[in-house]
Amino acid sequence: MTRFRPDLSDEPAVRLDGVSLAYERTGEVLTELDVVLRQGSFTFLTGPSGAGKSSLLKLMYLAHAPTRGAIRLFGRQTHELKRKQLAALRRRIGVVFQEFRLLNHLTAFENVALPLRVAGQKPDQYQNEVIDLLRWVGLGERVDAPTPSLSGGEQQRVAIARALINKPDLLIADEPTGNVDPEMGRKILRLFVELNKRVGTTILIATHDLELIREFNAPVLRLNNGLLVRDVEYGAAE
Amino acid sequence: MSRRDSPLLPASDAREAALFFVIGALCFLAALAALTTRGTYKAAEAWGAQIEGDITVVMRDTDRRTAEQAANRVASLANVFEARVLSRDEVEELLEPSLGPGGMPDGLPIPMLMVVQADTAVGDPSDDVAEILDELGIDGDVAGNAGYADNVRGALGVLRLVALSIVALLSATAIAVIAFATHAALLARRDIVDVLHLSGAEDRYIAGLFERRFWILALQAGLGGAVTALMVTALIVFTGSGAQGVEAQLLPRLSLDFWDIVILLVTPIMAGLAARLAARITVLASLKETL
Repeated sequence: MTRFRPDLSDEPAVRLDGVSLAYERTGEVLTELDVVLRQGSFTFLTGPSGAGKSSLLKLMYLAHAPTRGAIRLFGRQTHELKRKQLAALRRRIGVVFQEFRLLNHLTAFENVALPLRVAGQKPDQYQNEVIDLLRWVGLGERVDAPTPSLSGGEQQRVAIARALINKPDLLIADEPTGNVDPEMGRKILRLFVELNKRVGTTILIATHDLELIREFNAPVLRLNNGLLVRDVEYGAAE
Repeated sequence: MSRRDSPLLPASDAREAALFFVIGALCFLAALAALTTRGTYKAAEAWGAQIEGDITVVMRDTDRRTAEQAANRVASLANVFEARVLSRDEVEELLEPSLGPGGMPDGLPIPMLMVVQADTAVGDPSDDVAEILDELGIDGDVAGNAGYADNVRGALGVLRLVALSIVALLSATAIAVIAFATHAALLARRDIVDVLHLSGAEDRYIAGLFERRFWILALQAGLGGAVTALMVTALIVFTGSGAQGVEAQLLPRLSLDFWDIVILLVTPIMAGLAARLAARITVLASLKETL
């Protein structure tokens, strides 16, 4: 039973120091969080509904600024960065949104290619890469399918492929297995583990699925009412 | 097989069709108002010039031959276009509103009337005309319109100001409505803005997408409005070309000359720029709300 302690000798991928977040309508949803995600780490984020998991992820993928405290991504204080620099930093982060956020007027291929396209690449440059990735997530036959024609599970895999296409240094996934059957959920998790081990991508996955957490035995951050109540390697405190 | 980039923004929907209609209608009104104002301007110019250039000479106790002689000498003045003595029928026609139809009594002494059209921009010939009357021993009065031309000029000035104010107000309203409608249409696309933003697109890139979309939409709508205004103007010019006399002079002089075409071309460009600017401001403001 060893408590998870990130290796602070290297600059962590994510570091939150005393971070709080308050929304105008609901008030404070995260309180004084100190979180460190080592580069190349694989971490689960769990907690009951309304605990603040999605809000914490939003801070990490730079959708919101914290009300208090500081966020450091890849060694850079986010509040010190200009908007252009923030955009560049976002390109190092892949996000799998809980509600997928695919653009319905685009095909599976076009949705996956989106991060490359906004980075200025042309179809000739990314065509093979996108098709390969879609094959990897099991959608090789659905490359040109319009998004609305895809099932929930297929849309989720497109969202995952979109998050991975940029070869991100940090992958943040909000309930990535929420809309797929358990078998597909495990397959997706295995993809993430493979990515983590082979490429060294830092991965943070928010999930309710305790079975999945047990099976993949990785460090867990547990939130409750906006407070970090556990910061352990799974199994250590359970 | 090489793929092509398909548009990142979806094809236009009902909201944009409504925006297209609003922009088109406003451009039509603005273009028509501008053309009408210009027509009113031109009519006012012509009307004012005509009034200022008209001189009426009343000649009492003289015969027609002497009156014609005076008219010939007046016509030879450098700044006079035309001078002629009115016939009895023309005088009767002039007096008809006062004396009623049926002609004048035979015994009624009627003065000879000479109408003079002069170029008052070169100089007022009233004194020269009075001198000619003196030389020919004619008892007469020279009545220029300078006295009430100032009043007319003042009234025309107010008319021009009102017309210009209407155009300015309508243009400002059109720009404000275009901006507001563009803003509303854009808010409906907020989800796309968010996804692009979180995918690492820079603010300028996202704003550029929407700017292009709304620039083209407003340009097309504005062109539709301007073409409709052109057609209506052409119809008015065509149907009004038969009008003659005083009524024709009082009506706004709609035409389609170089400056009218400039107005019709500028209208959609202004609409496009307004929509483009509104799109840029809205997207950047929306992005500023996020990190």
